[in-house]
Amino acid sequence: MNTLPRLGVGIGWRPEIDLTVERLPGVDFVEVIAEGVHPANPPESLRVLRERGVPVLPHAVSLSLGGAEPVDRSRVAHLAAVAESLGAPLVSDHVAFVRGDGWEAGHLLPVPRTRDALEVLVANVLDAQAELPVPLALENVAALLEWPDAELDEGEFLAELVERTGCWLVVDVANLYVNARNLGSDPTAFLDAVPWERLAYVHVAGGEERDGLYHDTHAHPVTRPVLDLLAELRRRVDPPGVLLERDDQYPSDEELAAELAAIRAVVESHG
Amino acid sequence: MTGDPHDAARPDGDAERRRRLAAAQAGLLRALVLAEAPPPGFDVERVRAQARALRAKRRRVVARLRPDLVDHLGDRLAPLFDAYAAANPRRTGSTARDDAAAFTRWLEKRGERLPGRRRWWRRR
Repeated sequence: MNTLPRLGVGIGWRPEIDLTVERLPGVDFVEVIAEGVHPANPPESLRVLRERGVPVLPHAVSLSLGGAEPVDRSRVAHLAAVAESLGAPLVSDHVAFVRGDGWEAGHLLPVPRTRDALEVLVANVLDAQAELPVPLALENVAALLEWPDAELDEGEFLAELVERTGCWLVVDVANLYVNARNLGSDPTAFLDAVPWERLAYVHVAGGEERDGLYHDTHAHPVTRPVLDLLAELRRRVDPPGVLLERDDQYPSDEELAAELAAIRAVVESHG
Repeated sequence: MTGDPHDAARPDGDAERRRRLAAAQAGLLRALVLAEAPPPGFDVERVRAQARALRAKRRRVVARLRPDLVDHLGDRLAPLFDAYAAANPRRTGSTARDDAAAFTRWLEKRGERLPGRRRWWRRR
């Protein structure tokens, strides 16, 4: 499959803000955390949205595609079932690992940018794609730490992953900002290396500075530098979709609507 | 370990690469969840910051599943949960619900008197 739908501007659907998402103006699509959805009985609010023609995209956090172990087939099967249940045009997870050695990290950890890690990631992605009914997109993660001895830079790593698996990309500009702040990486070098023809959509989120590090909290307003990175991205590509992630400390409907409008303004002002 | 139809299609060297990557990732994971010394080359302070962030994430997930515990414990939730989490790293395959249930049992074992859970149905 070589084309994906135009998505527009969207927001991460969460059970705590289901009614908000339903009544917010300017929501063209939503994303739902796949692990929280029972395929036989998805939330009523998602049915309401789908009836209005709003695409619902399952976003997984637990496949651990960057992990050393072969992909857990039951997790891929669940994601596939959620995609079927929601009539989703694509699904996504991350370039990350979340478990190993018998332990569960509980959140997304960066993979080492080595040949070994890339080869294993490619094999895992190909395995997962074989079981999925729709295209798979992979997202760049935020990191507080860096692996030593990288053999490839982040752009090279992603470009080769895309070339060898045909996967799509979710580019998270908030995560780019986090890594620039915490690790000193160059976000524009990353943006220059992304194979934009494989962009599925973009993530935007808020965060905060704590103890000298910038944390991707999804619990604070979107900051100006993150919107500036979105504008930097927009200079390179007209993104098929841009989605706001907010997971905690939910603001008023008006504030969320204003954040969506700010995102739309950036995307449309560079047309 | 047998019978996976993907095994036959795996490229040469796949098993060795997975073993090397598993060892590398295990070293970092053990530093993060068991507070062991990180493997050479990692910034010790950053590993500690990542470990704190993982624990805070774990606490937020449990808090969202159990608002009754948030109400009951108030400011004590964070230190209690962090003590529980440090002594009880999550095993592969365990879920956030398992974690919340284990935390509750841990609290009860310490003699914490928890109120009965309300299970009201509500749309949001």
